[in-house]
Amino acid sequence: MAAYQFQIAAFEAVTPGVKVVFETTSDEGYAPQLAAAFASGEVPDIVTHLPSFAVQTDYANGLLEPFDDVIAAIGADEFYPGANDVYRAADGKYCGTGIGNSAANMLWVRRDLMQAAGIDTTPETWDELRAACQAMQTGGLFGAPLPYGQNSMTSLIFIGFIHQAGGQVFTPDLQVAIDNDGTRAALEFYRSMRELCPPGATTYSWGESLTAFVSGATATGIYTGRVLANVRDQNPALADQITCATYPRLSTDIAPWTFNDFPSVFIPAQSKQKDAAKAFAAFLFDPEGYIQQLHAAPGHVLPVLQSISANPIYQDNDIIRKCGPEVDLMAASAAGGFNLGYESAGHQSNAKAGEVIGSNAIADLVQKVIINGDNVDQALGETAAAIDAIMKA
Amino acid sequence: MRRAQGIAGNVVLNVVAWTIILGVAFPLFWMVVTSLKPQFELFRRPPTMLPETVTFEHYIRLLRDTPFLTYFRNSVLLSTATTVIVVGIATLGAYALVRFRFRGRETLAFLVLFTYLLPSVVLIIPLYLMLVSLGLSNTIFSLVIAYTTFALPYALWLLRSFMAGIPEDLESAALVDGATRLGAFWDIILPQLLPGIISTALFTFILSWNEYLYALVLVNSDGARPLTTGVMKMLISSFNIEWSLLMAASVMMSVPLIVVFAFLQSYLTRGFGAGAVKG
Amino acid sequence: MTSHAQTPLERRYAMLGLALIAPTVLIFCAVIVYPLISAIYLSLFQIFTPTLQGEWVGLGNYAAIWGSGAFWPALWTTLVWTVGTLTLQIVFGVAMALVLHQNIWFRSLARSLILFPYFISTVVAVLVWKWVMNDLYGILNHLLIVAGVTNVPLDFLGSMPNAMVSVILVGAWKYFPFVVIAVLARLQTIPEPLYEAARIDGAGPIARFFDVTLPQLREVLVVIVLLRAIWDFKEFDLIWLMTGGGPVNATQTLPLVVYREAFGLNQMGMAAAWAVSMMAVLLVFMVVYIRQTRAKGSF
Repeated sequence: MAAYQFQIAAFEAVTPGVKVVFETTSDEGYAPQLAAAFASGEVPDIVTHLPSFAVQTDYANGLLEPFDDVIAAIGADEFYPGANDVYRAADGKYCGTGIGNSAANMLWVRRDLMQAAGIDTTPETWDELRAACQAMQTGGLFGAPLPYGQNSMTSLIFIGFIHQAGGQVFTPDLQVAIDNDGTRAALEFYRSMRELCPPGATTYSWGESLTAFVSGATATGIYTGRVLANVRDQNPALADQITCATYPRLSTDIAPWTFNDFPSVFIPAQSKQKDAAKAFAAFLFDPEGYIQQLHAAPGHVLPVLQSISANPIYQDNDIIRKCGPEVDLMAASAAGGFNLGYESAGHQSNAKAGEVIGSNAIADLVQKVIINGDNVDQALGETAAAIDAIMKA
Repeated sequence: MRRAQGIAGNVVLNVVAWTIILGVAFPLFWMVVTSLKPQFELFRRPPTMLPETVTFEHYIRLLRDTPFLTYFRNSVLLSTATTVIVVGIATLGAYALVRFRFRGRETLAFLVLFTYLLPSVVLIIPLYLMLVSLGLSNTIFSLVIAYTTFALPYALWLLRSFMAGIPEDLESAALVDGATRLGAFWDIILPQLLPGIISTALFTFILSWNEYLYALVLVNSDGARPLTTGVMKMLISSFNIEWSLLMAASVMMSVPLIVVFAFLQSYLTRGFGAGAVKG
Repeated sequence: MTSHAQTPLERRYAMLGLALIAPTVLIFCAVIVYPLISAIYLSLFQIFTPTLQGEWVGLGNYAAIWGSGAFWPALWTTLVWTVGTLTLQIVFGVAMALVLHQNIWFRSLARSLILFPYFISTVVAVLVWKWVMNDLYGILNHLLIVAGVTNVPLDFLGSMPNAMVSVILVGAWKYFPFVVIAVLARLQTIPEPLYEAARIDGAGPIARFFDVTLPQLREVLVVIVLLRAIWDFKEFDLIWLMTGGGPVNATQTLPLVVYREAFGLNQMGMAAAWAVSMMAVLLVFMVVYIRQTRAKGSF
């Protein structure tokens, strides 16, 4: 927040006559708010931090201004290679750009607990992970805080598990293909992890999952680099015991799949001051303000510009210094990350990804199979039908 | 002997009653306790019954570092404005419905009851579009208008039954003495209706103070956001659930209401019963 | 309206009556009738929420809702919630009103404490209860484990039937004071001689409750049940904030379906059709209820 205030003040200082009004929203609140805003034409001039797939959806419906000018103003070469591929829309233009990267499904582990349980290496496969969690789960301590809730985290994380078993939700040309061996393997593994997660994991979302690991209630965690800052602030005793790795897969033959929701910046087409909005959007990437922004949550939001990563001012932060290897690993993983709008480099951009997540169809699948104990074939069939209906609507 | 039995029975009654009452009020106690615990004690397992370290840091942070006070002001303004407008209009309306004969009276009374059924979700988008075209979007006043949708039928319903409970003779006597209809309303009806008006106002105020869905969809600027959505937004980010801060906000949000209602409670019970039982 | 019998004074009164009701009628039309008609109109279209662009589908949305068989399970969930929480509210509310009517210690404080859940915001109530019911750090699980009821913490909100039981209980906790207020007020107006007469006839406390108190409370209970049934039926905030409708859709009552269609799936027309269907059902229940109670002479 403070970083934004700084950027706004700096921008207003260099562009006289422009006043930036800053409004905040929430994860659960933004969808109805933006929907109401678009419907009425009373739109903000610039919006940040929505996931890239939501941006694609809005662009496909003609609600957004093409973003090419802004990317050019920042300098296309400044970005990590391929960083903007996720924003390329069907018409070849860009619908927005990332304000930062995040590696949302890193595996966080406690070195002290692993040592006590006699585990030498960080788990790389599911079997190793499960065995490690079983070994570390004692008394009031649980193995992992995986989300089983009916929310977007469960959908997003589980999509990661599908890919970590070599599966996919859509084929590259966007046919629904969720009923595959990978999904089935992922469901089976996810079910076997249920008893290693806290009882309330059935309602977990990002906050609960993060807090469970940070407070020391679970032996492993699944989150972004935010863990580092929260441990420092809330449970410093753990600070020297934690490290992260890419999340384990079914087997080491399968490449890691990092989920990056690409918190985005974009400009609504109905904006009445597009030029000022574009100028401000580009200004958000001005190193001084941008680094403050990244330092607000070191390791959580990772730079999208190559030049920033190497910038000594960016490096000058206690967490980034202390946890250099972790931050580097996350930056690399996030830059090569995917999400449902962009499942692999070979996939077409999926403009309906936001709605698929919003429908909770995939979280429902997890809940049906694991909490209700429904038949897997039937549940998969229903999920496929639900997603298909959204794609065709 | 009988007397001793009576005393023993009385003690048993009191102990049982107070056990239940304290059970019902326990969340209030727990809310206060949690709001006074420092972060590191909060996630202690098992939880501590009383804070080992009492801290007011969450309250200080709430007042200094968050827009809590703005939200609070918005909620007070919003609920007060809704209450004044709704109760004012409903008093006149109820008077007309009960004491005047005119075409469509029955239909109107039925309509009041019917609007009672309307779920808020149905009215949101049409209302929003309407408010935007009036240039009122994102203002406290837009929520006042939205809250009228559920508060007015309710207030009208309550006041109508209060009004029906006032003997017609009083008004007739005043009219015979030469008072005008409005004069009689002012001098005779209003004083009689006062407990009913206070009661209705309290209920309207509570409804407005607690509303969540309209506020969630219709307002997206901190300048107009009320406490309900404000607190949810301010404190539940995906990074962290700050329970102590949430509980501190909950306490701050509830205490003024409890103080006010502790004083007006007898009004509330007396007035409500006297009116609403008439159906 | 029999105009031939009207005196000029009566006519003037009728005009005054209309003038007094006019603001109410105008506001009703503007903020309720117009949006309602818009909602019914919207339910005949397929509409993408963010753009509000849509195409006419006639009764297609209704056919989809009723044809797919999705309506009945959702209605059933709504009824389980409504009947469950309403029953608890009434039983507990009447019982508590009877207790508070007695001369117990610190009666005024007791009343304030009992009324407290009704005054606080649903948001506050939900936050407090979620914290109390927390699986890892919640006091409720701790107390249950200490009391030996369970060995592992319970999952109150994420699995069935716990989730439904939890929302019903929290709903009852939040709204039973409304029943207490109304019943308590009525209790204070029951004439003491009725009880004395019953006592002289040799009626014990239980018989006095059923023979004297309950018949006197009948009228007020009829109204309370109607009001609370309507409110519980359309309750959104409490369930949405507690469980979000989950697990899967086990606590997804009709208002939550409407919200999810409108803002989760961006199907505004479909949402409107659900809402209109929901209103129709509520209307039927209400008419039946009023007929029934009126037949017994309560209204």
